[in-house]
Amino acid sequence: MEEVKVVMDNETTQFIVVRLGDEQYGIDIKYVDNIVRMQHITRVPKVQEYLKGVINLRGEVIPVMSARIKMDLPADEYTKSTRIIILKLEQHGTIGIIVDEVKEVVTLENQQIDKVAYDSKEEKDYFIFGIGKYEDGGLISLLDLNAVVLDKDSI
Amino acid sequence: MDVSQYLEIFLDETKEHLQSLNTEILNLEQDPENTGTINEIFRAAHSLKGMAGTMGYKRMQNLTHDMENVFSEVRNGTIKVKGNMIDILFQCLDALEEYLNNIQETGDEGTNENEPLIKLLNDVLDSKEGGEPQKEKKPQAKAEASEESDSKWKDIKFDDTQKRVLSEAASQGKKVYGITVKVQESCILKAARAFLVFKALEELGEVLISNPSVQDIEDERFELDFSLIFVSDSSLDKVLDSIKGVSEIEGAQGALIEDEQIISAAAIEVSQSEAPAVAAEEGESVPAAEKANQPAPVSKAVEKKAPVSKPVVNRTVRVDIEKLDVLMNLVSELIIAKNSLVSASVGDRNNSVNEHIEYLESVTTNLHESVMKVRMVPIESVVNKFPRMIRDLSKKLDKKMELYMSGEETELDRTVVDEIGDPLMHLLRNAADHGLESGAVRKSKGKPEVGSIFLDAYQDGNNVVIEVRDDGAGINTAAVKEKAIMKGVITPEQGENMSDQEIINLLFNAGFSTSEVVSDVSGRGVGLDVVKSKIESLSGEVEVKSKIDVGSTWTIRLPLTLAIIQALMVDVGGEKYAISLGSIQTIEDIIPSDIKTVQNKEVIHLRGIVIPLIRLSEVLDIASKKNPEDNMTVVIVKKGDRLSGIVVDELMGQQEIVIKSLGKYITRCKVISGATILGDGEVALILDTNALF
Repeated sequence: MEEVKVVMDNETTQFIVVRLGDEQYGIDIKYVDNIVRMQHITRVPKVQEYLKGVINLRGEVIPVMSARIKMDLPADEYTKSTRIIILKLEQHGTIGIIVDEVKEVVTLENQQIDKVAYDSKEEKDYFIFGIGKYEDGGLISLLDLNAVVLDKDSI
Repeated sequence: MDVSQYLEIFLDETKEHLQSLNTEILNLEQDPENTGTINEIFRAAHSLKGMAGTMGYKRMQNLTHDMENVFSEVRNGTIKVKGNMIDILFQCLDALEEYLNNIQETGDEGTNENEPLIKLLNDVLDSKEGGEPQKEKKPQAKAEASEESDSKWKDIKFDDTQKRVLSEAASQGKKVYGITVKVQESCILKAARAFLVFKALEELGEVLISNPSVQDIEDERFELDFSLIFVSDSSLDKVLDSIKGVSEIEGAQGALIEDEQIISAAAIEVSQSEAPAVAAEEGESVPAAEKANQPAPVSKAVEKKAPVSKPVVNRTVRVDIEKLDVLMNLVSELIIAKNSLVSASVGDRNNSVNEHIEYLESVTTNLHESVMKVRMVPIESVVNKFPRMIRDLSKKLDKKMELYMSGEETELDRTVVDEIGDPLMHLLRNAADHGLESGAVRKSKGKPEVGSIFLDAYQDGNNVVIEVRDDGAGINTAAVKEKAIMKGVITPEQGENMSDQEIINLLFNAGFSTSEVVSDVSGRGVGLDVVKSKIESLSGEVEVKSKIDVGSTWTIRLPLTLAIIQALMVDVGGEKYAISLGSIQTIEDIIPSDIKTVQNKEVIHLRGIVIPLIRLSEVLDIASKKNPEDNMTVVIVKKGDRLSGIVVDELMGQQEIVIKSLGKYITRCKVISGATILGDGEVALILDTNALF
């Protein structure tokens, strides 16, 4: 019994820590294809507000969305540290999300992650699946990427 | 044996053979005496049987085997081709196709034995004229054959080297046997069984000579037996036992050959007539030798030979579409590279750079063209099945009709060809069911009793046009209007103001079917809207013209190529958009005062035609940067026969663009059909002008 538990606890996940507004969020590194600097985004008319448009990533046209707008945060202000994180989700293809800053990569053990339980009666959208606890006491919200990139109205 | 790696080839080839059977049987119905057709049918059926057997699809093989029997009797002239026989054969083809579909989906042929069909086939066989004597003759011939086959190995002749080897073997104390192996009549994979016999024998000794030759045996070019000269240390019984150990082997006969016998055999060779001697030397013509020896199974021998001499068939190269896509992408990138070079050179006018660019341009254009050509296939593969379908429909609907096709060689992108079959089938069924009147009605209208349906394909500029035309009743607009109002598609008021053409276009609405009676041919109301959406998904368009009592014409227009197009780049409010050159009619400079309003919509009057105006800036939710007082640039685009004027800020020139998909996330925007990457790396969106109408 003891042994099994140890193995489970030692299982680790790497997250890229990004900043959106004042908060820190973690993105599971296995979904991250690339991180690129902010660049010109070609607007696509008549789409959801959070879809900012498309960019050219090495000859491929990739849609880009604003995580801030999707998560009801104040609209993006593009600065020098703004980045686009290119995510590769198995079923839905590649998409870029705009973040204010990319800070670092952290490795969290399973025991450092508190899963968040939601009250399903509440109407609000949820975009995180857990809270990660840093060694130095910091907290990061771990993004549920499917909830972030998908439009639940259109599915 | 693991045959899964051959499955794909099997499926492809079986489809080809089925198609050729369909076509040829149709021909046979028209011209029952044509031996060329019959031979072609026989060849296809035989190959089908062989392939199904090799792949282990027993039921499929049984059915084709019985079909082959019928064909063989037809070829021998013992059965005459009759209407009901053709029907049965077509049913067989359908059953085979069902097997094939099962195999394609599940890897298994399914469990349908199709016994009724096999019985029908056997009935056809039994009904042959003068069947009785034939039956008597066969067993007799067989008996003869079996008698002779027991010692057939004695017919084997030796040349000098072989004789030397034999005597050498004998001097080493090895025994030389002559063996004749008989395969069971029901054996399906004769070659495989023979191979196993050889394998078993090789463990015991060495096969020196075989008759027919090993090559022929491998190709199944032998009757029920084959003979061997075998050198071994083992006893005759042991050798024969090991042969009999192979399943589906009826028996093996053999004897020890002494040296003298060899020589005497050689002596016989000399004294025998020339024909068998030649035959023994050339393995290929062994059946001819049998012909000389045994007159009875002549027909059989010939029949076995025929499939060997293959008539020229369409030689096709199958290319994995993924490999082509890779090639395609490479070309795309090359074009992008060229475009960036172009934009880089605009700054300084350096002649040598320009030269390079021109060269690069010609290379990329050629490369593009040749890659596209690889992807192009004639629509023949799709339309070939239609004559058969029309024949079936004709019987089912009890209407006489003929299908005339032209332009089957017209080529389209492979992906388009694969998709276009169903829409075309829908249109043809519609033409047959709704379009054509019954024979009596046609007569009363003074038309020929037999209705005509035309399927024409041709290339028109950058498009391929496929027309489905009938000389039937035409579309009854009054009935359509009534139905549309009844179904709530339009209000009666709307109906009042609609032109006939607009009413006809209502047919493409979902859930619309005008047939009073729902038949199983068409009329479930899911036809035309599916046709329309399918064709639009291929970036094509469909329109219909109809005249009462003259007929209807359905026109499908498809772009020749999908991935790379010539486009006009335009600027709207500082954003760049691409419009496919194929949809552009003209470009006009319009003075703002020329704009009139009709029903609160802006229109222009251009050379006698009233064209509605669409302000792109409004459609795309962006502010135009142009002074409203200035002359406007209007791109006149066409969708079928309709025109529309698109107001843009500025023209930026023509460019070859590579179409990229916007992906699965951006689905709401109907006016944008894709994106492209410009020379400077910027992304420009491609307008779908069809969605603007």
